[in-house]
Amino acid sequence: MNRRELLLAGASTVAAAAVAYPRNAALAQAPKEVTIGVIYPMSGASAQVGIDARHAFETALDIINNDHALDLVAAKGAGLTALGGAKVRLVFADHQADPQKGRAEAERLITQEKVSAIIGCYQSSVSATVSAVTERYGVPFLCADSSSPSLQKRGMKFFFRPAAQDEMFSAAMFDFFDAQKKKGKKIDTVALFFEDTIFGVDSSNTQRKLANDRGYKIAADIKYKTNSPSLTAEVQQLKSADADVLMPSSYTTDAMLLVKTTAELGYKPKNLVAQASGFSEQVTYDAVGDKLKGAITRASFSLDLAAKRPFIAKVNEMFKARSNRDLNDNTSRQFMGMLLLAEAIDRAGSLEGPKVRDAIAATDIPGTSTIMPWSRVKYGADGQNADASPVLLQYVGNKFVTIFPSDVAIADAIWPMNG
Amino acid sequence: MTTDVLPFPPATGLLPRRRNQLLVAAAVFAAIALIPFLVRDVYLQNVLVLTLLYAAVSQSWNILGGYCGQISLGHALYFGIGAYATSVLFVTYGVVPWGGMLVGGVLSAAIALLLGYPCFRLKGHYFSIATIVIAEIGLVLVHNWDFVGGALGIQWPFGSDSWWTLQFARDKVPYVHLALGLLAITWFVTFLIEGSRWGYWWRAVKDNPEAAESLGVEIFHSKMAAAAVSAFFTAVGGSFYASFLAYIDPESVMSFRFSLLFALPAVLGGIGTLWGPVVGAAILIPLTEITRSYLGGSGSGIDLIIYGGLIMLVSLAKPEGLLSLFRRKPKAEARS
Amino acid sequence: MTTQALLQVLASGLLMGLIYALIAVGLSLIFGLMDVVNFAHGEFLMTAMYVVFGMFLFTAIDPVLLVPVAAAALFVVGAAAYLGVVRFAMRAKANQGMVQIFATFGLATLMQGAAQYFLTPDYRSIGNSWLGGKTLNLAGVFLPWPQIFGGLVSIAAFGGLYLLMSRTDFGKALEATREDQGAVALVGIDRNRVFALGWGLGAALVGLAGAVLAIFYYIHPQVGATFGLIAYVTVALGGFGSVFGALAAGVIVGLVEALTAALLPPAMKSIGIYTLYLGIVFIRPSGLFGKL
Repeated sequence: MNRRELLLAGASTVAAAAVAYPRNAALAQAPKEVTIGVIYPMSGASAQVGIDARHAFETALDIINNDHALDLVAAKGAGLTALGGAKVRLVFADHQADPQKGRAEAERLITQEKVSAIIGCYQSSVSATVSAVTERYGVPFLCADSSSPSLQKRGMKFFFRPAAQDEMFSAAMFDFFDAQKKKGKKIDTVALFFEDTIFGVDSSNTQRKLANDRGYKIAADIKYKTNSPSLTAEVQQLKSADADVLMPSSYTTDAMLLVKTTAELGYKPKNLVAQASGFSEQVTYDAVGDKLKGAITRASFSLDLAAKRPFIAKVNEMFKARSNRDLNDNTSRQFMGMLLLAEAIDRAGSLEGPKVRDAIAATDIPGTSTIMPWSRVKYGADGQNADASPVLLQYVGNKFVTIFPSDVAIADAIWPMNG
Repeated sequence: MTTDVLPFPPATGLLPRRRNQLLVAAAVFAAIALIPFLVRDVYLQNVLVLTLLYAAVSQSWNILGGYCGQISLGHALYFGIGAYATSVLFVTYGVVPWGGMLVGGVLSAAIALLLGYPCFRLKGHYFSIATIVIAEIGLVLVHNWDFVGGALGIQWPFGSDSWWTLQFARDKVPYVHLALGLLAITWFVTFLIEGSRWGYWWRAVKDNPEAAESLGVEIFHSKMAAAAVSAFFTAVGGSFYASFLAYIDPESVMSFRFSLLFALPAVLGGIGTLWGPVVGAAILIPLTEITRSYLGGSGSGIDLIIYGGLIMLVSLAKPEGLLSLFRRKPKAEARS
Repeated sequence: MTTQALLQVLASGLLMGLIYALIAVGLSLIFGLMDVVNFAHGEFLMTAMYVVFGMFLFTAIDPVLLVPVAAAALFVVGAAAYLGVVRFAMRAKANQGMVQIFATFGLATLMQGAAQYFLTPDYRSIGNSWLGGKTLNLAGVFLPWPQIFGGLVSIAAFGGLYLLMSRTDFGKALEATREDQGAVALVGIDRNRVFALGWGLGAALVGLAGAVLAIFYYIHPQVGATFGLIAYVTVALGGFGSVFGALAAGVIVGLVEALTAALLPPAMKSIGIYTLYLGIVFIRPSGLFGKL
């Protein structure tokens, strides 16, 4: 979008508010309510993600709209103080993992619900079309949990991603390998095992490049069909390769099947370092946790941090009361994304897209007032927060322990996991 | 309609009825063209675009599935070819979507001819499953073909509004008219085919399989031609969808779901009829969109229950299609 | 690939193939009886998996023992689907084929929605069971016990089905009805009753498959889709209506799938099954053992 269009966008928003919706014009003086659109898969194969996200956002809403004595962004005071204590209202929409439906919902939320910002969308393909709409309408899009690097490379002005993307996540994994190597551990070969949709392919592209750059031999490079009835032949190849590290990028269903199949074929990966997703979901560990002892996953979040920042435990309790599970990689990013959005809207003192956009762009918050291990929140020109330092977690004794990077680690990695 | 085997249709007699049909169609399409000026809401306009698009593609499907009785459940293949040809040509080579439409259409028609030869020997469900399987092979290939973006799909660059590149940032009205144009063309082509020798043969064959024997070769060729026409317009629909969405990936244009969605309006509205796909799409698409938008956000699955339940009820209650509700005289003698 | 790896792939493919055959045979049976393709077949499978999961959760009875329970429950589901839905689709005077496809497709969507509504879309799986996670090691070739059990159930089901079709009055009534629907009415067989029982039997068979899968596969409302398409291809490959064809085709599909995954890039493994299907029907238009 060029500047003329941007001006037009702003002008038409004002015009729409003033002419077509006099009710909103009155609100613009002292809004009682700030509406934020939430677009997630609420039915279909990844519906559980949407439902968990809903709990995360409702927890965030509770914290924003009510006064909480937590040292956390947007927690103090009821509602948005700069907007006269205006309350945030969320409108949830279902995209069924379909980019077309995501786009239609974004248009509906912007034009009918008059949302001040949109947050979403889990699937990177949907985030791609939704962010195109928000760009065209001049409404900020906060990309909470889609981690495809390509999203930020379209020169968009209204796109913001506080959490890390796959390149940063994968770089953290290889930094960790380098550190292990320095300690004299053996890591020569890696096996890439990834699903065939945008998430797995993007993730593997980055990992392949990093492995080559840093001198790790790729012993197996297997793209598999997602939601396969059986992964036996695929795992057989992994077993034959027997790399030092198995690096899966898998959604929940495939993660469960992969782990079961490795056990069935008597293959014990020497180490497993996963690109989160299925490997950060509690259900995976409920199902096959006994076979994942010592598995490592990258994450945006670690409950360990609660030792340093007690409010994290409080937030987790609030979330658990709703969803009956702990905050994880996805839900923590969704929760935090919403708080950051509320903080920026509050700072903007306005509901208009371009003003909210400028406020988000000016965000500079220390990591310590978030629930995340990030060093701070400050968006680059491409909308990416470069300081969203990821962590690596190891599954030890039925829970996750932070093992990397060393400044937040609370334990040394058990390596190899299956010696 | 008659069950007697007549190689050629009666010369005249239907003309006044057909002229009336044309007038009705002109009136209906003109009325639809005005809707976006009355309904300014972007969301509803989006629903209208989808409705018209599905009506058009379902009409294309209807030529082969309805009139010829070749139930294809693999038309997503052609839709995908159209969408991919257009996107690759535009994004990689800078060819405007109008060119992509033509290339995608011709390519699809050629593939339909190629596939038609072995597939038309298959009967009933063997044919349908063969079409599903072929479309799935296409999906897997595109998924693993890096040149066309593989799983990452193709994102169209942001551009200024233009009829030349078919990009309109916010305005849905041009898309409404484009989709309507496509629907009008497919409708008219169907209308022509219905009144032609082919249409007459196909009806004869449907009512009396023995007639097929005496017409064997001609029927086969006419069905091949129908498959090509059907594939051509389905691809044009896919081409339109790609420029409309400005982003495509394999799942979002080629999944099996689409093949069902192309057949469904025709079946619900009235298979093998001129207005069936339009009526079916006019009910099905708004219903799908609106149940999802206003009930889907809860994540309870209630939208799927309503959607599935209604499809079931309609197909059971009105097996001839909803169009039969509007017909004053049931053509009782037409069925043997 | 080493010989051992090849044997492993073949053995796994064979076991999975027997399970595919068990999933497919119910579909084939129903088709043979009344020319109906049930597009909700995958959802029947999903229902069976939830039945076993639910029973296991509440009674802690091992899934192995719940296999007959799942079959019985699915018998009821199948008969109800016939009496409540398909019976009406059969009455359609126009384009019956399409009405059946979409009536059962609507049923499938409704069942998915209902599963999400009542059971949540969460992924479930059965944790500790007698067979779960246990593996038989035959000189380096690993055979998981749940799959071995599945293969045995499948073989037993096909044996039982053969006896049922050839030795019992019910089987004869089924055979007679599929031969000539009109004539059976004359000899006093209630067509509707036979159809309802046929649907029950077809669903009970997929119930067996669902019960076996529940031991080692994840369970969620969309799981039927994973197996649905394979089931249709298997049935068509074997020949619609042919029970033996379903068995042969299931095994072939299992083996071909495993081999393609080992030889081609695994993401393209379904291409093996699909080209096989096309290759066979282009030569034999009614599948391996279909009559048509």
